[in-house]
Amino acid sequence: MTSPAPEPVAAGGAISPPRAAAATRFSPRRFLSDWGPALPLLLFTLATLVLPALMLVHDTFALPDGSYGFEHITKVAANPVDRQAIGGSLALGLVQATIATAIGAPAAWLITKMRLGGRAFWLSLMNVASNFAGIGLAFGFVALIGSTGMLTLIIKALFGIDDNPFPSTGSFSGMNIVYLYFNVPMFVLLTLPALSVLKSDWQEAAEVCKATRRQFWRYVGIPVLAPFVVAGWLLIFTWTIGVYAVAYAVAASPGAQKLITLQIGTTLETSVFGLGRAAVLSVLLMLLAVGATVLYRLSLKRAARWL
Amino acid sequence: MRKHVFLGLLLVYFGLPLLAALLYSVATRWTDTALPDGYTLSHWLNVFTKPDVVAALGRSLVLSAVVVVIEIALVVPAAYWSVVRNPRIGSVIQTISVIPFAIPWVVVGAGIQLVTKSVAPQLFGTFWLLAASTAAIAFPFMYRAVESSLLAAGAVQLSEAAATCGAGPMQTLVKVIVPAIRGGVVSGALLVIATAMNEFALAKILVGVSFETLPLWSARQFVSRTLGDPNALAVVTIFTFGLLFALSALVVWLGRGRVSASMATATVQKGTSS
Repeated sequence: MTSPAPEPVAAGGAISPPRAAAATRFSPRRFLSDWGPALPLLLFTLATLVLPALMLVHDTFALPDGSYGFEHITKVAANPVDRQAIGGSLALGLVQATIATAIGAPAAWLITKMRLGGRAFWLSLMNVASNFAGIGLAFGFVALIGSTGMLTLIIKALFGIDDNPFPSTGSFSGMNIVYLYFNVPMFVLLTLPALSVLKSDWQEAAEVCKATRRQFWRYVGIPVLAPFVVAGWLLIFTWTIGVYAVAYAVAASPGAQKLITLQIGTTLETSVFGLGRAAVLSVLLMLLAVGATVLYRLSLKRAARWL
Repeated sequence: MRKHVFLGLLLVYFGLPLLAALLYSVATRWTDTALPDGYTLSHWLNVFTKPDVVAALGRSLVLSAVVVVIEIALVVPAAYWSVVRNPRIGSVIQTISVIPFAIPWVVVGAGIQLVTKSVAPQLFGTFWLLAASTAAIAFPFMYRAVESSLLAAGAVQLSEAAATCGAGPMQTLVKVIVPAIRGGVVSGALLVIATAMNEFALAKILVGVSFETLPLWSARQFVSRTLGDPNALAVVTIFTFGLLFALSALVVWLGRGRVSASMATATVQKGTSS
C-alpha cells in the first residue's frame, strides 16, 4: 500500500517544502507538482461526468424564460405516461432485486458447498450467462418464447394448445423473465466471495454445541450474511432501473411496459424542446441510484465487521 | 433431491435462450417446428460479407481502439502520480468513479447531450463525442487495473531506484514503469474493449444512425424483425457473445486473482445492459 504522506521520490528536480507550508499558502508550482500528471484525467472526467450531472440538475429547474421553478417536475408528475414509466421502473427494480436474491442467494450457497469441479462449472456458467446480454439476449428470448419460439412450439405441440403460453417479452412479466437472465448471475458473482465469511468451523462449532441446522441459520448464518445479501439486493435494484439496451429491444413490441430509461431515450431522440422532461426523469434515476449506492456502501461497512 | 431440481431448472433457464440463438444461426429454414428443418453454415459465411455488418463491425473496432488509446494516455500518468506522489489523486478519482458505476449510462448520455448542446453544438452526433463519452464511462476499469498493477510492481521503489540512477520523471515513466505494469494495462484495455464493443445507450443517444456500431446494427435488425434478417442477427448475437466471453475469460486468466472474475463480469454486465 502507499503511505499516506506523499513521497517526493520520482520528481527529479521538484523541491518539496514542508507540508504545513502548502496547507497555509497556495503555490501554483507546488500544486502542479502534486497534481500535474493527473490533471488531464481529472479535467476530462469533470467535463464528461461531473458537469453533465450538474447540468441535468440545472435543467430540471431551469425554465425556458430564464427563471427557475418546479414547472418541469409538475409536468412530469401530471403526465400519465411518465407516471406509468416511473411506476414500471420502480416495480421492475423491486421485483427483480427480490427474485434475483431469492434465487441467487441459495444458488450461491450451493455453489460454495460444491467440489472444485462443480464450482468451476457453475462459475463459468454464470460467466457465460452474464456475457449474453443486451440486444442479443432479447433476441435469444424471442427465439425461445416468442410467438414462433422454440419452447413455445414444443409446449404447444405437447399440450395441444393454440395460444402462446408465455407472456410477450415486452410486457412486465416478460421483462421479468428476461432480466433474471443477467440479474441472477450478477447476484451470485457479487455475493459468492462474501459467503466464504461464514466459516465451516462455525457450523461445526454449532453442531458440537448441539444446535440444530435451523438454530445455526437463525442465530449465526443469517445475521452474518444479511448485510451482504442486502447489499446485493440494492445493487441489482440500482442496475435494473438503469437498464437500457435490453429494455429498448423488448419494448419494440406493441403494448410494451413503459420504463424511465426508455422515456429518456425517446425524449432525447424525438424532441429538441422537451429536454426539461428528460432532465427531470434523469435526475430521478440519479437520485434513486445515489440513494441505493449510499445504502449499499453502508451495508457493506456493516458486513465488514465479520471480516 | 430438491437441490438437484433447483440447479437443474437453473441450468435449463440459462442454457435455452443461448441454444435457441445458436440454432437460429445455423438453421436452413425454421418456421413452425420445434427444431430447424436443416442445418447450414452459410449464414456464418455470408454475414461477414454483408457490407452493413462489416461496416458496423469496423466502426465498433475503431471506437474500441480510440477509446483504449484515450484511456491509456489519461489514466497511466494519473494512477502513477497517485501511487508514487499524491494519494489524494486516488481518492478524488475513486469518488468520481462512483458516477459511471451507479448512474445509468443512459442518464450519463442525457447529461452529455445537454452539455454539448449549450457548450459545443458542433460536436453533436460526432464520432469524437461518442469516443470521449465511452472513455468516460469505461475509465474506472482501466484505472483500477493500472493502479493495482502499479502497487503490485512496487512502483514507489522502482521510481526511487530510477531517480537514484539519475532518470527524470518522464524517462522513469516510459522506460521503467510502463514495462513493469504492462499486464495491468492489457487487462484494463481488454475490459475497456469489452465495454466499447457492446455499449448501446451512449451510441444510441449521442450518434444514432450517423455512426452505426455493431450493437446499433443489432438493435435495428431486431426492432424491424419483419424486414431484417433474423439469421444474420443470430450470427452477430452469437459472435458478440463469444467475443465478450473470450475477453472476460482472458482478463480472468491474465489477472489470476488480481482482477477478480466478478469484476470482469461486472464490466461486461454494465456495458451490455446499461
